[in-house]
Amino acid sequence: MIGSVFLETLRTTWKQMLYWGVGLSAMGLLVVIMVPLFNMQDMANLLQSFPPVILAMIGVGQELEIFATNEGFVAIGFFGKSALIFAVYPVVMGMRITANEEDSGTMDVLLSLPIERARVIVEKFLAYGLSCVGVVILIYLGLHLGVILGGVDLDVARLLEVTFYLIPVMVFIMAATMLIAVLARRRAVALGIITAFVIVSYMLQTIGLAAEGTVAEPIGAVSFLTYYNAGDILAQGFIWPHIAGFVILSGLLLLASLYRYEGRDIGV
Amino acid sequence: MASESVIEINGLSKSYGSGKKQTLALNALDLTVNRGEIFGYLGPNGAGKTTTIRLLLDLIRPSAGSARIFGLDIRADSVEIHRRIGFLPGELTLWENRTGSQIIHYVASVRGDAKGIAKHADELAERLDLDTSKRVRDLSSGNKRKLGLVAAMMHAPELLILDEPTGGLDPLVQQTFHAMMDEYRDKGKTVFLSSHVLSEVQAICDRVGILRGGELKAVESVEKITNVEFHWVDVTFRDAIPIGLQQQLEGLPSISDVSTNGRRIRLRMLGDFDPLLRVISSGYVEMVHVEEPSLEEIFLAYYSGDKEN
Repeated sequence: MIGSVFLETLRTTWKQMLYWGVGLSAMGLLVVIMVPLFNMQDMANLLQSFPPVILAMIGVGQELEIFATNEGFVAIGFFGKSALIFAVYPVVMGMRITANEEDSGTMDVLLSLPIERARVIVEKFLAYGLSCVGVVILIYLGLHLGVILGGVDLDVARLLEVTFYLIPVMVFIMAATMLIAVLARRRAVALGIITAFVIVSYMLQTIGLAAEGTVAEPIGAVSFLTYYNAGDILAQGFIWPHIAGFVILSGLLLLASLYRYEGRDIGV
Repeated sequence: MASESVIEINGLSKSYGSGKKQTLALNALDLTVNRGEIFGYLGPNGAGKTTTIRLLLDLIRPSAGSARIFGLDIRADSVEIHRRIGFLPGELTLWENRTGSQIIHYVASVRGDAKGIAKHADELAERLDLDTSKRVRDLSSGNKRKLGLVAAMMHAPELLILDEPTGGLDPLVQQTFHAMMDEYRDKGKTVFLSSHVLSEVQAICDRVGILRGGELKAVESVEKITNVEFHWVDVTFRDAIPIGLQQQLEGLPSISDVSTNGRRIRLRMLGDFDPLLRVISSGYVEMVHVEEPSLEEIFLAYYSGDKEN
């Protein structure tokens, strides 16, 4: 029956989605509640005193004025430094699409049923993608609750944009993990490669931000994290070309995974 | 009816790796399994039994050759084939955090007839004495196996492919399983069963294929394969064993493994009885007992023959 794998995946994932979402939203809530404790002008001065490489490590470029706002504080305090934390959940979910089930042997049972390999991948991809949306919604609810509880003066619409911008990024990371797992076959190898990919991307983004205005600046363009910059989103709102880029890349990664998985042995 | 083939395998080969590291897991297998029979697929670990099954299920892709199930190509028509078969893997792994009934409903929903299948699953679970309310992680290996059997059989498939089905099952449940297989055959359904438990194969199978090193060594009916040319013979003399008889017997090319115990002599005999009868007639023979070789011995004979070659 169409959708049975999708529904089963949601049934087995909703608790993890809830735990991750609540945990991350609690972090966000804490950051929002702390906003009134800081003088944003002092914050801006403090940031100006930092060397560019340190600012780059927390996801801040040279346009500091945006960070001298309540929204900017949340961008740095939560979205900036948490980029790597946000990557963990989609990696975990991406591994579940094929690698975990192949390693454990349950994929043999599933694929012995009347179901195409492509359908298994697509239904799982959609279910885990939906769970990423669930995590993001919970994160936003945490931030919004922080605004209400702390009486913080925050542009809720901008906050919503920054938060929901996470969805295409997380889906992209999940799709990349899935393709690496399909290619590498072994869970441990795939996990090593995707971890290296995320860390290298983070380093490249840091170098790109630290080297703004120099010949090394284009290095940052190679990193996918460059296209999720909370400061840029606060300043410009949704950056549609970047979102489209993530969506197209995710689609291509999904197609490549389907193609490769269709042609290869399972669990070997 | 019996001649209608359900599984047709032609020159099926599978190798892993490439260059010097290439391993041939299955070499040009030709095999036909007919409707309504229980076919035993025998071989030691690494013989290629599981590789054959995984090829038939389209989980791995052949390096050469082809196979058809119900006349359908195993690759192009795998979904339609899977709709009509039930499969139990040798190393069964199920979703550990789900209960038995949740897994049954999941498998049934993928099959597309959740209500009808689940009802039959309840009957099977009751017959196998399986508690489906427990989580898989809390089940013993035997009970996991039962759950696997229920999942494989609950849609009453036309063909059952079972890889080492009774591993971990207690003797009572094994008997139930044997009865279920007999019922399957009576309904005109087909079972392809891999095993290294030869007595089980002897008890329930109609034909047996013996596999070794990725090559099929023999396909025979269980009766025929049991009726091989060697026998174990016990000869009991009224008086002491005649002097020099043992040496005489050991000198015969068709006799081996001669041992004595009091007035009794035991030997392994190949071919006709006449040479043996001529030699033992030098004494007063009280009793001659002839034993058919067990399937285990036949199985070992195939392998020792291969080792000698």
